[in-house]
Amino acid sequence: MAKLEPYSPTPAARAGRIVMTVTPFVIGIVCVLLSFVPFGRIVGSPLTPAFPLMAIYYWAIVRPEMFPPLAVFAVGVLFDLLSGGEIGLWAFVYTVTYAVVVTQRPVVVNAPFSAFWIGFAVTAAFAGALAWVIVSVIHGLIVPPGPVFWHMAVTVAVFPIFAMLFGRFETRVLSGG
Amino acid sequence: MEPNRTALPFREFSHRISLIFMLTLAAALLLLGRAETYVFDQARQVVTDLAAPLLEIASRPVAATRRIIERTDEYAYVFDENERLRAENARLLEWKEEALRLQARLARYEALLNVQVDQSIEYVSGRVVSDSGGPFIDTVLVNVGREQGARSGLAVIDSDGLAGRIVATGPKASRVLLLTDLNSRIPVVIEPAQYKAILAGDNTSWPRLEYLPVQSAVSPGDRVVTSGDGGLIPAGLPVGLVIQTGSGELRVQTFSDRGRLDFVRVLQYEFPSEVKLQDPPSVLEGPAAEPAAPAGDGPRAAAE
Repeated sequence: MAKLEPYSPTPAARAGRIVMTVTPFVIGIVCVLLSFVPFGRIVGSPLTPAFPLMAIYYWAIVRPEMFPPLAVFAVGVLFDLLSGGEIGLWAFVYTVTYAVVVTQRPVVVNAPFSAFWIGFAVTAAFAGALAWVIVSVIHGLIVPPGPVFWHMAVTVAVFPIFAMLFGRFETRVLSGG
Repeated sequence: MEPNRTALPFREFSHRISLIFMLTLAAALLLLGRAETYVFDQARQVVTDLAAPLLEIASRPVAATRRIIERTDEYAYVFDENERLRAENARLLEWKEEALRLQARLARYEALLNVQVDQSIEYVSGRVVSDSGGPFIDTVLVNVGREQGARSGLAVIDSDGLAGRIVATGPKASRVLLLTDLNSRIPVVIEPAQYKAILAGDNTSWPRLEYLPVQSAVSPGDRVVTSGDGGLIPAGLPVGLVIQTGSGELRVQTFSDRGRLDFVRVLQYEFPSEVKLQDPPSVLEGPAAEPAAPAGDGPRAAAE
């Protein structure tokens, strides 16, 4: 009778597993830091896209098991700490948005890119509206919706570029192809 | 896009539990964040100080690209620019004569009146290393920290005028609250009639003027400078020009452009608060009585 050998992963498999666990956090942190790099100054505009939202949406649809809720929450908290705004605002908005996207995943998961993009536009609108409502409630006044509208519009506009980059990363690194 | 490969029920279940837990945690953080400010302020400072060097490195190529674009623009319009500068130079030379004359006159008056001239304000220069990073806040990080002499409350100016003030400092980096932020309130004076008001940011590009007297005759194009009230920000720093919106509301177009903030100065202004106390004495005394003259002498002497 064959004896069952205890499974011991090779160092390469172990390294691969570490990469798989750490990758979402690293991507999330890079996206948060990118949000604070003053790209807008090149063209003289204070607008910056919501890079973390792109990462959250992409990974929630394509590989939710790679981007767990803990990573989403951590990304949101880091963003809040760096931004100097309300603590927990983006942590809450991103986690709620992630929850909504994960539940609606079957709608866009195998759809063409245009549907994937429209899905992102709806997600960005939802996240922007939620954040706007929370900030308005916290400050007890109707905050001008213009800045958050443009913020999300820019995010939706540049999303295809980042979706392509994430896609490349996914096929090259994570799929091992 | 491939379908989820790990559709194991257990994995799905743990994912869901984790999601619910994180949602609750995020909601709790949102509520707690407003109460436990000290803890979060400390955490924020640590994260900011750690991220500032990275952001500084990342912002260099951005600044370089911007300079290349600006230079290209300048080459394209070099002839027009030259003409414009020639005209401006001629105009400024006239102003220079006028300014020199006024300066001499002012110095004479100050000497006559023994005026206490404002002390010159020292400053530390730094670079803006980060963007605000969100649509609801207008703050930037500068690479001037406590070690370089920055502290909360100090005014920050760029080459055009007041940009904002420091609200948090770490050893190496500080956070600057810009004039357009929802939480920014700056006491200002509107020239030339010297009406006082508060410049209140409201998350739009043009801050509002609050507490302006009803009868004030402020019109678009008037200059707005800091009033120095409250002692936090020195008086007379240029802030912007009054503009009128379509709805007739008066707002301010700031001189400093938050989309182009790069090099800034942190003014190390110290309000002259050490004023000698002039407590009134507990018992008010009249002037010392003169020795009494013999009665009747005074008037007669005066008459003589």
